[in-house]
Amino acid sequence: MASGHVIKRAKYKTSPKGAGTPGVLKMTENKIMFKPNDPTSASKIDVEFRLIKGYKNTKEGSNNPPLLNLSLEQGGSYIFEFENFLDLQVCREFVGNALTKSGDAAKAKSGDTAKAKSGEAVRATSDRSTVTYPDEQLISSAEMELRIKLLRENSELQNLHKKFVLGNILTESEFWATRKKLLDGDSGTKSKQRVGFKSSMILDIKPMTDGRTNKVTFNLTPEIKYQIFALKPAVHRAFLNHVPNKMTEKDFWTKYFRAEYLHSTKNAVAAAAEAAEDEELAIFLKDDDILANAARQKIRRVDPTLDMEADQGDDYMHLPDHGIFRDGSKEITDSQHEQFKRTFLQDLNRQGEVVLEGRTIDVELEDPRTVAEALAQSRQESDENAKQERLDRISRMTEMEDLQAPHDHPLAPLCIKDPRDYFDSQQLKTSDDTRAGSEQLRCSLSSEEAYGSLRGSISEIKAMGLSDPVVRPEVAVMVLNGLTQNISSTKFQLGKNAQEGILNSLPNTTKEELLHHWISIQELLRHFWSSYPITTSYLYAKVSRVKDAMSKIYPQLEEIKESVPSDLRQQVFLLVRPMHQALDAAFQHYEADLQKRSAKSGDKPNGYV
Amino acid sequence: MKFQIEDVTVYFPYDHIYPEQYAYMVELKRALDARGHCLLEMPTGTGKTIALLSLITSYTLSKPNNPVKLIYCTRTVHEMEKTLAELKLLHAYQTTHIGDRARILAVGLSSRKNLCVNSRVLAAENRDSVDASCRRLTASWVRAAAVANPNLPTCEFFEEYEKAGSNAVLPPGVYTLQDLRAYGKEKGWCPYFLARHMVQFANVVVYSYQYLLDPKVAGYISKEMQKESVVVFDEAHNIDNVCIEALSVSVRRQTLEGARRNLNKMRQEIEKFKATDAGRLRAEYNRLVEGLAQRGNLPFTDNWLSNPALPDDILKEAVPGNIRRAEHFLHVLRRLVQYLEGRLETDNVEKEGPVGFVASINTHAGIDQKTLKFCYDRLHSLMLTLEITDTDEFLHIQTICDFATLVGTYTRGFSVIIEPFDERMPHIPDPVLQLSCHDASLAIKPVFDRFQSVVITSGTLSPIDLYPRLLNFHPVVSRSFTMSLTRDCICPMVLTRGSDQLPVSTKFDMRSDLGVVRNYGRLLLEMASVVPDGIVCFFVSYSYMDGIVNSWNENGILKEIMQHKLVFIETQDVVETTLALDNYRKACDCGRGAIFFSVARGKVAEGIDFDRHYGRLVIMFGVPFQYTLSKILLARLEYLRDTFQIKEGDFLTFDALRQAAQCVGRVIRSKADYGMMIFADKRYSRHDKRSKLPGWILSHLRDAHLNLSTDMALHIAREFLRKMAQPYDKAGSSGRKTLLSQEDVEKMGDGILNEMQY
Repeated sequence: MASGHVIKRAKYKTSPKGAGTPGVLKMTENKIMFKPNDPTSASKIDVEFRLIKGYKNTKEGSNNPPLLNLSLEQGGSYIFEFENFLDLQVCREFVGNALTKSGDAAKAKSGDTAKAKSGEAVRATSDRSTVTYPDEQLISSAEMELRIKLLRENSELQNLHKKFVLGNILTESEFWATRKKLLDGDSGTKSKQRVGFKSSMILDIKPMTDGRTNKVTFNLTPEIKYQIFALKPAVHRAFLNHVPNKMTEKDFWTKYFRAEYLHSTKNAVAAAAEAAEDEELAIFLKDDDILANAARQKIRRVDPTLDMEADQGDDYMHLPDHGIFRDGSKEITDSQHEQFKRTFLQDLNRQGEVVLEGRTIDVELEDPRTVAEALAQSRQESDENAKQERLDRISRMTEMEDLQAPHDHPLAPLCIKDPRDYFDSQQLKTSDDTRAGSEQLRCSLSSEEAYGSLRGSISEIKAMGLSDPVVRPEVAVMVLNGLTQNISSTKFQLGKNAQEGILNSLPNTTKEELLHHWISIQELLRHFWSSYPITTSYLYAKVSRVKDAMSKIYPQLEEIKESVPSDLRQQVFLLVRPMHQALDAAFQHYEADLQKRSAKSGDKPNGYV
Repeated sequence: MKFQIEDVTVYFPYDHIYPEQYAYMVELKRALDARGHCLLEMPTGTGKTIALLSLITSYTLSKPNNPVKLIYCTRTVHEMEKTLAELKLLHAYQTTHIGDRARILAVGLSSRKNLCVNSRVLAAENRDSVDASCRRLTASWVRAAAVANPNLPTCEFFEEYEKAGSNAVLPPGVYTLQDLRAYGKEKGWCPYFLARHMVQFANVVVYSYQYLLDPKVAGYISKEMQKESVVVFDEAHNIDNVCIEALSVSVRRQTLEGARRNLNKMRQEIEKFKATDAGRLRAEYNRLVEGLAQRGNLPFTDNWLSNPALPDDILKEAVPGNIRRAEHFLHVLRRLVQYLEGRLETDNVEKEGPVGFVASINTHAGIDQKTLKFCYDRLHSLMLTLEITDTDEFLHIQTICDFATLVGTYTRGFSVIIEPFDERMPHIPDPVLQLSCHDASLAIKPVFDRFQSVVITSGTLSPIDLYPRLLNFHPVVSRSFTMSLTRDCICPMVLTRGSDQLPVSTKFDMRSDLGVVRNYGRLLLEMASVVPDGIVCFFVSYSYMDGIVNSWNENGILKEIMQHKLVFIETQDVVETTLALDNYRKACDCGRGAIFFSVARGKVAEGIDFDRHYGRLVIMFGVPFQYTLSKILLARLEYLRDTFQIKEGDFLTFDALRQAAQCVGRVIRSKADYGMMIFADKRYSRHDKRSKLPGWILSHLRDAHLNLSTDMALHIAREFLRKMAQPYDKAGSSGRKTLLSQEDVEKMGDGILNEMQY
């Protein structure tokens, strides 16, 4: 939105297939204008952005020409064809921004009204408070777009948003503040995770034979080429040096696989002979000198507790000809053609290393040349060492873990910005505790009472005997039948399918209603609890708003409970109870806090809320 | 924690101690009191090293009047680093609790290759060329010449070190090789010579076995160690093999060709000296008449590998007259090389004792036994006189003289074996003449004689009574400790059948059977899909591993395995193997999971730990028997039978099983750790094989796990892993304490001891 307007050459079309009228498209912050080159043409356009509902465009790489389709609110659309995709890109962005802006404007209006109303509510509960909101205008249009997108994608979220934000219970920013992760997470998925190498990559390159001749065919995908470059730096270097100056890419790969074939025959002598004739082939057959150098570099950084190379430096047994040469435990090597004898085992080790390093480049794999160059660059970058880290690791390794007391866990330092806040919240906690204590006391009292009444009734029975039935038999039978039937029916229903929960046995409407309530309660509770301890008047206002909304849900739940058929009531009750409990807890806390607050404000006439 | 063992206050750097560690310390303390040698077997993963280090350092602290010096021998450099790291931990603890009185000097010592900080010298490829390039800069005559001609390159680190003179000392502390290098760089002193110098004063010296066992190395490094030292051989289950290797030499065609070149070069040098500086040769002659006078007062930088024969065997007499003159000596060597060349031209395997061989040299080449014996020293002297610094070029002639001296010195315990080709590759002629030592006690004898206490310890010394016989010594304490487990954190299994219920084995007639190969592959595949993090596989040999990996590749099993975990393999290239291991650890650390293929008796099996998530399962494919057709092995078996009445079969099984136990023992590091061990061969189910395993493995090997097939093993593995994932009480339950606090130790006292022994 840096530039106030965009001017591009385009063709105006009424349908995607039509020829269209060439002309100039001009877009300003709130208008779109199209002037055809031929001034006599009738297809002149002048529309405001707020009349435009949305836009579509063709993707780059598809066969379609670069088209932008602007759909109007009243129906119908304008289609523009651009000269290239770059122009399309620019215009699309502009349109997108302009659209969200006009959307913002509409929203801002409703936001203002929300502010006003909630402001009143606050004033109603506490006269002294002056409401300050966190600045809502700081939201970037990109974030706005993201929010709109999220709402569109998630109907549940949309419902909540409608209910609370438009119902003036929460403000827009409050609603989104608890969903930061959603917003971040979404932007996180944009940079898509890199896929590593397969651990069996060297085994994947298998030739195909046609069965009749001795010819074999290799199918090389860009992926495979990239893998080969990563695995074999010497091949990679040869590719950079020879292709396409000295040989074609096809020749290069033919040679490469010829060399691979010679390796696989394990005939070092033949390999040596071929290498002597063809110097390019020799590159592939020889040991990789780049790898050897890298190995020498790496060996210096290796953990000393597994550095066997150091042993060799210390080992006087392995002087040539000292010690026992041929006792059967040592192996025999043919030293003559050593350099042409790269083994499969070495390849496996190299592969493991490459897989662990992971993909180092992030380019399209289409052109092997660019891949090769990008890889060359990344190789230069990745050369760091961490000596200290290595030493730390040794000292950690040497300790015997279970002889030692466990290491202290890192603690977050206590940071009290405002001591009053801190002690307020602490006090709240202790008061909660004392209340819990008193409740317990009451409990024990009531159990005494219960004991007393039980004793009384027992003595009564003792005195009167059990001659008189407590209830009449027929009533008892009826109740028993009713209960057992109910039990058996629910048992039947529940036992039918273990996977099926209680929810699924409920009628659809009830189920949805319950779920909806549950989600709203969760949302409200989240806001409720997150605003404690109340430190600013803004939070105070918010809490009271939220509380009001919750108290509205309460009776609705009761209604649901009443409305379900009797045999399901028990289960619905079970479902609703935790909701009630959660709400009750919130109300209780609210009341306690309010009381304390009023008591305190009596003490402190200068008024701290 | 701090506690009393009899009259010694032990400072232990942890809050808790295992009962077996306590018992181990008590036994060790008794051995030190008795000033005798001892043999202690304690399972891996019970903290042997730290127990040993804290007892010995505390022992010295408690008896300040006769401080003992600790010489700690490890098999490998990385074990050395680990030991020093543990010592650092201990030292930090002791100095904070006792103060400056506890300060000690501990140094690790290695070759120039691992200690040098001079970048020009380090550029050299291997140990020998590093040694040689160091000599080129620091040899006494080079330095003398450099004084006159400042353009001659010298080593600035060594010059600085020399300049500092007696001020060049290490302050007390624990120095790993890394620390030594850092210190040397900081001060500008050569860390190698500094460490060599400080070895005499250090309280703890950590170095490789060979620095004590190989007479060539011990002769100039361990000469000055006092008798009141405690020598520890850690991970000593292979010590007999190290001893044998130290005294064996092999001569091949390449050696003889190289020796001829060396002799020509030396002749030219002699001619040159005759023309320019005849006095020098004459001086040498005179010195030799008086005896080997130059020994002992050589400049520090000039000495190299000393006489291969043991100090007692070198007669204190003058070099025989016939080789005192340089050119005469060269003639003798030339005849010797010619004779050896002749012996290599044989079509049959020949085996001779040293006495017969010497007699034959005498008749055919006219060199008598005494002359042979002095070859090495005479060569040494000549090379110094000729001011040869390229010692790495002259390795071949050194080998020949090495051989001559050994064969001239010893009359028993050796044999000379000439093979025209390797039995496994009969079509490739590669004649070799080997002087192989059969008697491990020869090399270790001076160590037992010289030092007050020698401690031989390892996780696998079973059967423990065999070692005193092999090494010919009398331990005052010989104990094997059990492992008190909080929970059954090791799970050994013997797998005899594959998933198709057919037996699996690496027996010679079965190993190339495709069914066995496939069954082994399926076993690994199934396990890879169940076991988290790292799996280690050991094979019986490189060639077997190479073959089986290739056939797994061909029938697609390898690809399936790789879908679960990455695969890394030990190769014969040490650098590559090290990097593969490093990557293996990375893969385990990042949660990717990996499998490491390795070889029993290989370098990895020797000293790399696969503790914690680096190894949740070890599979031992087959029984790692030695190559039984090897002539050298046969000769050694014969010697063992004749001298120690050890049966061939017994020794072979003992040797194979200690290797297998060593391989699987690498998974456990502490009692909090856990791991499974699969012995995949039907032969393990036989009692005579199995019973050779160390007790701590046997005690966890249930009868139900002795004859498993792949599917059963898989089931057990799943159950085991599930069980291990549960929380548990670290201190141990049901009356048996497996973790002692200071209080417990004080209360229980000696009661623990009896419980911990077999």
